[in-house]
Amino acid sequence: MDFLAQHQLYIVLIIAVGIWFGLYIYLFRLDGRLKKLERDMHREQH
Amino acid sequence: MTLRILLGVLLTLVIVAALGLPMVQHPQHWYEFPSIPGLEEKARIIFFHVPTAWLSVMAFITSMIYGIRYLRRKDPMDDLTSASAAGLGLLFCVLATVTGAIWAKFNWGSYWNWDPRETSIFVLLLIYGAYFSLRAAVEVEEKRATLSSVYSIIAAVTVPFFVFIMPRIMTGLHPGAKGDPDGAGPVIEFKMSLNMRVVFFSSLIAFTLLFLWMLSLRVRTARLEYHHQPKG
Amino acid sequence: MSVRETTTLRWIRASLAVFLKDWRSELRTRYAMSALVMFVVTTISIILFSLGGEGASPEVLAGMLWVVIFFAAMSGLSRTFVMEEERGTGMTLQLLTPPGAVFAGKLLFNLVLGAGLTLLTVVLYAFFINGFIVRTLSIFLLTIALGSVGLAAASTIIAAIIARANTKGTLYPVLSFPILLPLLMTVINATRLASDGAPLGEAAGEFQILISYIVVVITVSTLLFEYIWKD
Repeated sequence: MDFLAQHQLYIVLIIAVGIWFGLYIYLFRLDGRLKKLERDMHREQH
Repeated sequence: MTLRILLGVLLTLVIVAALGLPMVQHPQHWYEFPSIPGLEEKARIIFFHVPTAWLSVMAFITSMIYGIRYLRRKDPMDDLTSASAAGLGLLFCVLATVTGAIWAKFNWGSYWNWDPRETSIFVLLLIYGAYFSLRAAVEVEEKRATLSSVYSIIAAVTVPFFVFIMPRIMTGLHPGAKGDPDGAGPVIEFKMSLNMRVVFFSSLIAFTLLFLWMLSLRVRTARLEYHHQPKG
Repeated sequence: MSVRETTTLRWIRASLAVFLKDWRSELRTRYAMSALVMFVVTTISIILFSLGGEGASPEVLAGMLWVVIFFAAMSGLSRTFVMEEERGTGMTLQLLTPPGAVFAGKLLFNLVLGAGLTLLTVVLYAFFINGFIVRTLSIFLLTIALGSVGLAAASTIIAAIIARANTKGTLYPVLSFPILLPLLMTVINATRLASDGAPLGEAAGEFQILISYIVVVITVSTLLFEYIWKD
């Protein structure tokens, strides 16, 4: 408990970076899926 | 692709720097932030709170610009872009308001004080709320697009008035914003050291890139949905 | 030159025709007027009951006056456009009159209605609410004059927007409030100054803001009305 109290800011840092990584990975995968869908649609049209 | 990688690296570095770099009374090294008496560690919020607030305004302006384009060209994609930008703007606005309120609690003792900055972000929140209520209430696509565009223009036009109204309201009230004449405006008020400025502007750039990326994702999704509608 | 005169004259006549049509229809049905009067009376009564004989500070009373006026406007000023939708007469009006004239006519109608409701509210408020004292009459009169004009201007364009929506009643205040907020803040501040007995000059800034607000809102509304109105 004392360790946590002393290094509060670093705990926040790790959590923040963790959240950001999660969000980034999500967006990245979404981007990939969109690209695939767009390619499929493009092919469908031609 | 490069922008996305840049965004990933940049924002990570920003978070690490903003939260990790030490704050000391007399900075000796490039990686030390000056600790301002009274603010100390609380100043770190500036790296996150200000960019989100700034971006919520930018998003609104983007939404309005695409609204105007829609009125001119009647291209449904313009309206979808306008709505997507507004959605992101609302998200950032909520984040800005919440981070601001939390900071206000720690700094001045209460979550909300109706000082100029707080009131303006609240008004922006109201405008976003009104915008989406309007969109929800109109079913016909073309009408919905037209009315949303018109409303965002009207709303944008009334916002500049606050710049002139705020000073008059605050000087009329008695506890003048708890000693902070400009409300929560530390960017203008206290001088940030060079390293803080670097982190701050990097944060601004990173959040802007994030906004642009999320916007393009939403617009692409909307475009796919739009073209994929069952015909007839 | 004579051709231009005729067009402007025709335009003015069209606006007046729209105004008179709405006015006569309103006199016949008294729909908006009765709603407004009932609203103002009810609200002021509720305020009286809740104050229970004791007064409130002049600042609070100044703000409350405009709260009542704002919501009274919300209950009555949308009628002019909503009735066109309800009766299905909107299409005919579109065919007969240029959109600018429609807007001007309905704006005029709302100005009259707005002035009426403001006057009624102010009179009842001044008579019945303890503690509401106006020391500088000139500031107060100018404030309610400019305030009601600005209120009517913003309310009219928003009324045009919500007339085409589904949830008109609740949507109207939601959309109007952010737009009217600069006006309300200024007008409440000016009323407070009038209550305190400040000299006319001190409210000059407020009046500047009000006048520019009115000009900006009416200009933007006129430009945008066509997009809302055309089907």
